[in-house]
Amino acid sequence: MAKSCTRRRRGSATGLVVSNAAIRPRFYRLQLRIQGSGSALFAQTQPGQFAELQVSSLSVPPADQIPDGLADVAQRQIILRRPFSYCDIEVENADSVRLDFLYCVLGAGTVRMTTLKEGDPVSILGPLGNGFSVPEGKKAAVLVAGGMGAPPMQHLARSLSENHGDIALTVIAGARDAESIPFATEPDGKDDAIIEEFAPFAGEQIVTTDDGSFGRKGFVTVHLENWLTGAKYRPSEIVIFSCGPEAMLAEVAKVAEKHNVDCQVSMERMMACGIGLCQSCAVDVKQAGSKGAVYKLCCKDGPVFDSKDVVFGGKRQNI
Amino acid sequence: MWYSVANDKIYDMSVDFVGLRLANPVFLASGTCGYGDELSDFLDMNALGGFVTKSITLKPRKGNPTPRIVETSSGMLNAIGLANVGLDCFVEEKLPMIEGLSTAVFVNVAGETIDDYVAVVERLAGEKGISGFELNISCPNVKHGGITFGTDPAQIEEITRAVKAASGDKPLMVKLTPAVTDIAVSAQAAVNGGADALSLVNTFTAMVIDIEDQRPVLANRTGGLSGPAIKPMAVYLVNRVFQAVGGQVPIMGLGGIATASDAVEFMIAGATTIAVGTATFAQPDCAMAIIEGIGQYCRKKGVSNIKEIVGCLQ
Ligand SMILES: Cc1cc2nc3c(=O)[nH]c(=O)nc-3n(C[C@H](O)[C@H](O)[C@H](O)COP(=O)(O)OP(=O)(O)OC[C@H]3O[C@@H](n4cnc5c(N)ncnc54)[C@H](O)[C@@H]3O)c2cc1C
Ligand SMILES: Cc1cc2nc3c(=O)[nH]c(=O)nc-3n(C[C@H](O)[C@H](O)[C@H](O)COP(=O)(O)O)c2cc1C
Ligand code: FES
Repeated sequence: MAKSCTRRRRGSATGLVVSNAAIRPRFYRLQLRIQGSGSALFAQTQPGQFAELQVSSLSVPPADQIPDGLADVAQRQIILRRPFSYCDIEVENADSVRLDFLYCVLGAGTVRMTTLKEGDPVSILGPLGNGFSVPEGKKAAVLVAGGMGAPPMQHLARSLSENHGDIALTVIAGARDAESIPFATEPDGKDDAIIEEFAPFAGEQIVTTDDGSFGRKGFVTVHLENWLTGAKYRPSEIVIFSCGPEAMLAEVAKVAEKHNVDCQVSMERMMACGIGLCQSCAVDVKQAGSKGAVYKLCCKDGPVFDSKDVVFGGKRQNI
Repeated sequence: MWYSVANDKIYDMSVDFVGLRLANPVFLASGTCGYGDELSDFLDMNALGGFVTKSITLKPRKGNPTPRIVETSSGMLNAIGLANVGLDCFVEEKLPMIEGLSTAVFVNVAGETIDDYVAVVERLAGEKGISGFELNISCPNVKHGGITFGTDPAQIEEITRAVKAASGDKPLMVKLTPAVTDIAVSAQAAVNGGADALSLVNTFTAMVIDIEDQRPVLANRTGGLSGPAIKPMAVYLVNRVFQAVGGQVPIMGLGGIATASDAVEFMIAGATTIAVGTATFAQPDCAMAIIEGIGQYCRKKGVSNIKEIVGCLQ
């Protein structure tokens, strides 16, 4: 036998669907409950970690329930799991934990997920990867979310407010347009627009859309830059946590570096396994003390990386 | 030893393979189970017949740029490019854990030149924890070495002979590529070079195109197709090789195995052992269900020893 007696960090379990509701035409919130012995493992989930859901055995919804443009890809016979960040977690009791996911319907797997109904079983691997960590001596945290990068930020906001109450929280959340904000917000176009999900935790919210159809107009990075310029904290007292498209993360990293502020980014890659077996999810990471870069695994070493270490995507998107 | 107990009858699941007594015929395939260290959260590695490590090269390899994988109907393409920790790191960081396992561990070896392969095997030939080697001359995703050896019978024989001479008393398995006109010719070449076993198949070269961009999805443009999509082709090739050289060396069959009946098909076609690859990504403990299911098949068929079904194709 192997001499391993360390506690398991991760594992597989079956979650039962509590609810799976469309919060917007293409965005769903899925709640799973894990009960019994498997729940303890998932109760330890840290913000920024993710899960792999088995969705290949789910049926394709009837044609009239498939979103426009996806009828074709929906028919693909899929085999791999799909990775999703936790957007919230509630430890209900010693034997039960509720895991929330926010997903965008994009292709064969997520189309199938829309058919999940209360009580359906879903096989889940987790908690996977390394999440966000709070460095010593911070007084302010800025959460910068772009588009579908918002889900883990909700979990992080709750966790920070519960475990680091002394850290002031600012959320800067943006998307292309009102429709692309993955929360159930009513478009109102006002400067003080907020996202309900962040309201209990964040002292300050700056909500933006590229076209101004909800909240303020403009990119999150411009608002981040303004916020940092006017901040009443020393750079060493601030930390930025960010999740979103890679091009946005690259900009956030630049702004952070310019202002000499610590910054952690959550990266995405195509993943075949999510548990460090396949080497598919490489992220280019600078090597300490050398000009070269090495590949780290997004699923195992990440998905959260120090922004200073990451060599962001070149000419083409990585996913 | 692994016995399957059903209806008060005991079925012997153990197999002899290249001089090793294995608990059962089920392996995990190279590149789909790391170095055995990542999967222990999900299954007991010692319950397997064995596993084959990710390819090891003399120097560490970064591998190809991303995207390195893309899913396709009932399969996936990968162009990892043999990303691996390299020989030294393998010995330092991975080998101690492997030595603690009781299951059979084959180290998959890759390189750009014959000397590269020989150097890796020489260094590892004396290591107790290693049961044998698998020679990867079939990787479709690297510019030098890999498949270029595996498509030329003369080179297959030459590299097999050189590596066999370096492997001491450890068995050498040669992994064949399906990218040839007649795989029986490759098989014979490897046997002539001294191979103790053959494993097949490696992936089939393939391409997926993003029709919006009108470009290949993979950064490497092409990749190797694996998963259920390739299974019937792999079963055929195993049978072809079994007919050609089955009397001389045993075969490890792989390619798209996801269920026990898939595994049994390969065994009927002529495989003494089988390996699970891509299916582990979807279900990390899939091999356990396969072991169990093979036992159930034996019971149903009244087979008392698993060896009876190897190559029994009518
Ligand atoms: C660590 C991590 C956390 C994630 N968290 C979330 C989340 O909280 N909510 C959410 O909606 N999505 C999240 N994603 C992305 C999600 O995994 C993909 O959207 C999903 O796999 C698409 O599956 P599909 O079968 O519907 O689409 P496919 O048919 O497989 O692909 C459709 C589109 O989705 C893109 N895509 C496929 N796989 C990935 C992937 N692994 N990462 C990014 N894009 C991908 C493809 O490029 C393609 O454009 C996360 C991805 C990672 C790696
Ligand atoms: C992501 C991935 C990485 C692989 N890496 C290797 C490798 O390093 N060396 C090797 O010999 N084969 C490698 N293979 C090939 C597999 O070992 C196997 O031959 C092939 O995938 C067919 O089996 P499957 O359909 O069950 O996956 C890899 C396959 C995949 C999917
Ligand atoms: S997804 Fe397989 S190693 Fe990261």
